[in-house]
Amino acid sequence: MSTIAERGVGLGVADAAAVPPAAALSGRRRAPRQLALHLAFLGVCGATLFPLLWMLRTALAPADEVFSPHLRPWPDNPTLGNFAAAFRLHPVDAWLANSLIVAAGITAGKLALAIPAGFAFGVLRFPGRDLGFALVVGTMVVPYVITLVPTYVAVVQLGLYDTLAGVVIPSIGHCGFVVFFLRQAYRALPAELFEAARIDGAGSLRQLLTIAVPNVSGAIAAMSVLSFLSAWNLYLWPHLLLEASESKTISIGLKLFATTGEQGGEWGPLMATAMLAALPVLVLYAVAQRQLVSAFATSGIR
Amino acid sequence: MTHGDWRAGLSGWLLAAPAVGAAVVFVWAPMLASIGFSFFDWSLLRRQGTWRGLDHYLATLSNPEFHLAAGNTLIYLLALLPMQVGVPLLLAFLLLRLRLERAAAAYRLLLFVPAVLSFPVAAVIWLWMFNPVFGVLNALFGALGLPPQRWLSDPDLAIWSVIAVAFWKSFGLNLLIFHAALLTIPHEVVEAARVDGAYSLKLALTIELPLISPALFFAVVTTVIIVLDEIVGAVDVLTEGGPFRMSTNLLYYLYERGFRFFQFGEAAAVAVLISCLVALVTWAQFRFGERHVHYR
Repeated sequence: MSTIAERGVGLGVADAAAVPPAAALSGRRRAPRQLALHLAFLGVCGATLFPLLWMLRTALAPADEVFSPHLRPWPDNPTLGNFAAAFRLHPVDAWLANSLIVAAGITAGKLALAIPAGFAFGVLRFPGRDLGFALVVGTMVVPYVITLVPTYVAVVQLGLYDTLAGVVIPSIGHCGFVVFFLRQAYRALPAELFEAARIDGAGSLRQLLTIAVPNVSGAIAAMSVLSFLSAWNLYLWPHLLLEASESKTISIGLKLFATTGEQGGEWGPLMATAMLAALPVLVLYAVAQRQLVSAFATSGIR
Repeated sequence: MTHGDWRAGLSGWLLAAPAVGAAVVFVWAPMLASIGFSFFDWSLLRRQGTWRGLDHYLATLSNPEFHLAAGNTLIYLLALLPMQVGVPLLLAFLLLRLRLERAAAAYRLLLFVPAVLSFPVAAVIWLWMFNPVFGVLNALFGALGLPPQRWLSDPDLAIWSVIAVAFWKSFGLNLLIFHAALLTIPHEVVEAARVDGAYSLKLALTIELPLISPALFFAVVTTVIIVLDEIVGAVDVLTEGGPFRMSTNLLYYLYERGFRFFQFGEAAAVAVLISCLVALVTWAQFRFGERHVHYR
């Protein structure tokens, strides 16, 4: 993403430095248009973020205000009561913990496979390398839908139905993009880096751990964030596998929450739970914005 | 082969083997098994399947519910494609024309926020807004003097409500990709055209748009994948495919056949059909991408 920043700076400098009189005139004429653009973008951003604001407002509103017909964007008497109610109604704490375990497990598993494999495919030379690489990266073209039924049957027969291990283990296999991304990062490193180590007698594993990994830490961070995010957001697979209420992840817990209880019931607590489901992802986005954006922009997200 | 080569080869394989093994066990083997399953009658109780040939495919292709699901998938696709490509493209062009880069970065940051949420979270938020009695949308409609809508229970409206949620949740990704692609266009190219007197719209259509065509194609592929795959999280939370199956789609059909009625053979056949569609589009993207990478 540094290219964006660079180009941004470049544009600013060029505009300020060498502006011929005619352009300066058109620049002055451009000012109202720029203002209109900003107003339009503020409007679009407002509309885009409104549902999140409304979720927040409902989560913090006492029951009488949740169901009041007034369109106030903020509750008069904000309260955390809905959060307490949510934890009373459903095992929301277990859902959050399960989501954390699933997301962390899948992320760790994918990285454990992809960090060495990306290095082997990108830096080392060995017979069958291209075949191995094709087998791993080719999985990116395989829609996970086609793996659902047999994986489900296998997981059930192994006694892993309704367990987090059943959710995590098969998902780790879908690491083609992470391997591909890390391989690109390793390949961008100068070959002399490894030549020198090889002359010093460092084996492949030591080259990987002492030279390669520290030099691609940015790419590893990007893939960690991306994997965590997509695992936290997983829906169909855990939905098929996790049956008992306490063993659900937050995404599918939300569905259970939304469809149980009387109609027109627990909207405040439900929005509080939705907020808890969204919060880790939003925080991750705020903190690791750079890595995420670069990973998303280069990728096919999957 | 020298001793060193042999050692390097071995360690290469050792480092790559876990990933290759996982890919084979968790992706390739289940894929082949799925194709196999689709020719058998299979259930968890009867371990031995009976050969059914193409029966599942024929049954699927002649099932009116499948037609409905396929038709709805087409509606999702035809509605979302222009929205998912057109709106982010327009926004990306406009972002590029903002002279205050800080502001442009901030807008992009904010517009991407829904894209990091999951479909079920987005769906639950909208489920509340769609509530016919207490929902904010009908309150807004009321304030504007418009009649209240049954967003999710009106058979004609439900699919469009799901489409709106899917659009809200995912347009940010395409915006990000378009904007990133536009920023890679060399400054000189744009400036040269501007000196030649190209005005903003002409510049966008004749210079910038062709240069980011791989990103456009990528956006088409992500939209197809959303419709065939990820949107199921929104469908399940918002409507469960209803009312009267009017907002179902192919993956939801698979989910019902396989995991509500446990017709694994039939579900596998549907999975094969869906996967053929996805693979076709993905393959086309790779081919297209390859051809354009050289021009960068």
